[in-house]
Amino acid sequence: MKKTRPWLKTLAVGALASVLVLSGCNAGNSGSGSSDKAANLKIMWWGSDVRHEATQKALDMYTAANPKVTFAPEFTAWDGYWQKLPTLAASKTLPDIMQMDAAYIQGYVKRGLLADLSDIDLSGIVDEQVIDNIKIDGKVYGVPLSYNGQGMVYDKVALEEAGITLPTNNWTWEDFFAYAEEARTKLPKDKYPIDDLRNIWEWYQFYQTSKGLGPIFKDGTTFNLDKDTWFEFNSKYAEFQKAGIVPPADLQLTSKENDPQTDTFGTGRVMLRGASVGSATAIEALLPGGRIAVNSYPIGEAGGGWAQSTIFFSVSAASKNQAQAKEFIKWFISNAEAGKTLGTVRGIPINNDILKSIESSFTAGEQLGIDLLGVAKEKALPFYPAPAGAEDFVSTYKSEMESVMFNKTTLEQAYETLVEKGKAAEAKLK
Amino acid sequence: MTEKQSSWKNHLILIPFSLLMIYPVIWWIGASFKSQAELSLPTLWPETYMWENYTNGWSYSSQYTFAKFFANTLIMEFWSVLGGVLTAALVGYGFGRLNFRFRNFWFSVLLMTLMLPSQVTVVPQYIMYNKLGLTDSYIPLILPHFFGGGAFFVFLVVQFIRGIPRELDEAAQIDGASVYAIFFRIIAPLIKPALFTVGIFTFLWSWDDFFAQLLYLSSVEKFTVGLGLRMFIDQFEVQWGQLLAMSLLSVAPSAIIFFLAQKHFVEGIATTGLKG
Amino acid sequence: MFGKKSGSGKKFQHNTAGYLFISPWLIGFLLLTLWPILQSLYLSFTEYSLLDSPVWIGTENYSNILSDKLFVKSLIVTFTFVLFAVPIKMMFSLLVAMLLNKNVKGMSIYRTLIYFPSLIGGSIAVAALWRNMFGLEGYINHILGWFGIQGVGWIANPDTALGTLILLNTWQFGSTMVIFLAGLKQIPKDLYESASVDGAGVFRKFYSITLPMLSPVIFFNLVLGIINAFQMFTSAFVITGGGPANSTYMYVLFLYEKAFKQYQMGYASSLAWILLLIIGVFTLINFTVSKYWVHYESEGGKSN
Repeated sequence: MKKTRPWLKTLAVGALASVLVLSGCNAGNSGSGSSDKAANLKIMWWGSDVRHEATQKALDMYTAANPKVTFAPEFTAWDGYWQKLPTLAASKTLPDIMQMDAAYIQGYVKRGLLADLSDIDLSGIVDEQVIDNIKIDGKVYGVPLSYNGQGMVYDKVALEEAGITLPTNNWTWEDFFAYAEEARTKLPKDKYPIDDLRNIWEWYQFYQTSKGLGPIFKDGTTFNLDKDTWFEFNSKYAEFQKAGIVPPADLQLTSKENDPQTDTFGTGRVMLRGASVGSATAIEALLPGGRIAVNSYPIGEAGGGWAQSTIFFSVSAASKNQAQAKEFIKWFISNAEAGKTLGTVRGIPINNDILKSIESSFTAGEQLGIDLLGVAKEKALPFYPAPAGAEDFVSTYKSEMESVMFNKTTLEQAYETLVEKGKAAEAKLK
Repeated sequence: MTEKQSSWKNHLILIPFSLLMIYPVIWWIGASFKSQAELSLPTLWPETYMWENYTNGWSYSSQYTFAKFFANTLIMEFWSVLGGVLTAALVGYGFGRLNFRFRNFWFSVLLMTLMLPSQVTVVPQYIMYNKLGLTDSYIPLILPHFFGGGAFFVFLVVQFIRGIPRELDEAAQIDGASVYAIFFRIIAPLIKPALFTVGIFTFLWSWDDFFAQLLYLSSVEKFTVGLGLRMFIDQFEVQWGQLLAMSLLSVAPSAIIFFLAQKHFVEGIATTGLKG
Repeated sequence: MFGKKSGSGKKFQHNTAGYLFISPWLIGFLLLTLWPILQSLYLSFTEYSLLDSPVWIGTENYSNILSDKLFVKSLIVTFTFVLFAVPIKMMFSLLVAMLLNKNVKGMSIYRTLIYFPSLIGGSIAVAALWRNMFGLEGYINHILGWFGIQGVGWIANPDTALGTLILLNTWQFGSTMVIFLAGLKQIPKDLYESASVDGAGVFRKFYSITLPMLSPVIFFNLVLGIINAFQMFTSAFVITGGGPANSTYMYVLFLYEKAFKQYQMGYASSLAWILLLIIGVFTLINFTVSKYWVHYESEGGKSN
């Protein structure tokens, strides 16, 4: 897939050799002591086969360099992973090292299942800002593996053909709504300017946080759904639905993100939508051939969108091989050769040196990810996942708003239900 | 109405009905040759046939091809089916024909095991097998077919046995045959169709039991087809063409087994001329 | 469960042989199945996140469940599903089984074709398949278009999603049908022949021979059909995820999400035991009523 040109290869090998020499010196200094002990590390991650293959190669490389450390790898797809991991936790057999996601990590930290990794020295490997962003109660429980962030993608070709003013970076929510209204007048009837994401709680939260009103669960505990803002936002969408600016509810809910059959954006029904850096390759595959351009999220006085790592390696608090695990993780994100092998299988590498060394061979999808990250970073807000304990609120939000979209319930009724669930979650969180 | 006429009429009903049932599968065949981009089109057949979906899909996993996964699954299936059929026949006879103390109690317990959703027993079960050191092996997947599982099939066999006239075994009993002899000589041959049904269903359902396989098998060399198929799914992206191609292939063994076995379970007993 | 033993049965009490025959199940039950079942019962009285140890909270889960709106919603959805899916599937399966029971050339192929949808089971492919069939631009709407009818997004519309799942359930009717087929083959042919000689018509034969002779198998399919319909999970999980607007939020899906998404295994276990009670009541009614309509050859051929 990725063909490296010969001259590039020479260059890379040269760079690699020099890095190897440097890192070799490093390892000699810091690595002695704990790595003398033999260990078989159980390591687990989710992903596709490309990721599995590259990761296993990297593990082999590590064992070749450190013969005393061997691995027992295990991997599954995304959905199975989050069924298996709690089962392993229940039987007290969590692997030494496990891949973690920002949406789940809090629940594991809260129960004391993950080891504190703050003492891994990541200076010069990962930006300090990045580390600060992912700390939980001031400690690092997962070493970030890649950059992630949220921007928007649009079908540039279609918008230009229809003569619609293109979105601009750092546009406001007003600009965003104005774009939607303008585009409606110029697009064919069965194409829509934007999606109707009223049932996605995060989508509204972006609106609220960008206005400086904080996330729905402030500090992860206080229920903070701003009534006026919420009504304003959803009334706007109700208008849009009537005016045909957003797709009708049944078309909208048929859509599964990044599914080639149904994704409204991927099937050319909707012109613009939000997209995470991590999903860039998938999006590019839906509309290939450079049709897609990127733009920032709509912003308010506080900013907009987010940019933060969401994939980590964590170490089990019960692991007997924590020292070896930490050392391995550090190597995993800093070793140049490993970086080359791993490429972008976990997204855009968190280590800027490694990123630079592989940038030149990026595919269109990977480049799209870089572009998305670029626009996301500038005005990014922190990433606000739902706190562990607010799951009930999240699922109620979805179903209530779907009822609203189908006019099965009023906005007022939905609001009441949400406040009730929000308060219940708050009582649990405090 | 002559034989010929009626059979002609039968075909007239059967052909359109079969097509109606199979239509989504025809779409599936078409889609398995499509590229990711073409999948969004509502067409049945692709413009260009992606045979690569099959060839690349087959060896998608870097370490093993699907041949390995098929072999693994078939080995697991062999033991599961053997266990399922043996247990269902023996236990079904016990409950269906023999009269023993607390029979009704135990039968109620058997049925009860069917009523509790497995989602809540799966974790304690995992903890148990883990303590026994049996994870990452096929044993937790096979063992229940021999012992303790298969309540559905036991009940099925019970119902079939209760449909067999009792005069048959009573006659044999008068001739001095033991209950064991009655089972092997009289009942077992008569419930052959039911046992084939048990065998087929055991095969199909273990093939499909993804969640258990996910929990208990962790090394790739032990992966089943079901787990192999999951490798096409990433968090954001699904290799649909290859996934559809390989999952179509994954149904093939079941279809072949069904085709071969259906003769037996529908024709096993019809010739015996049994009279109630 | 088996009713009163008729006189002939009482003569033979086979305690040793009985336990010997059921021993594979009994031993397995005591050693492998009982412990997880008891555990889940215990857990239903605890707060258990899977990630840390269970904490005893008495009957709190149960009282919380009774005031949980989602519990009520999922019960309504599930009962609706059972009410429609079970009879439709049963009747359809029996009809097809009788059709496939004929002696027609190429029957093996027809049977396999018609059974094929049931082979697919709950695989991931089914989700893609079903989205294609019932999507806005899917096959169904395409056909409706010929008649000038504007279709909807069948699985994305709260008014039609559950109906679509019932249809899917009926489409995968194979296992029920196969059991009927095996049952039909067990009916001695000479019964029909002598009825023909007596001048009985098709419906008469169906009513007085097929139905009573098949009743043990019909009973089996009914009992298991109800149990399985109450536990319906896979297609709701894979295809609709319970949506839209919770219109397909099946009971076991609710339970699953509590257990593995919200990490409330204690609550989920209580839900499971409540479901067990509900299914148990239905099964008991089924067995009680069965005395009046199920005909067992082995019990002296008393009919109805």
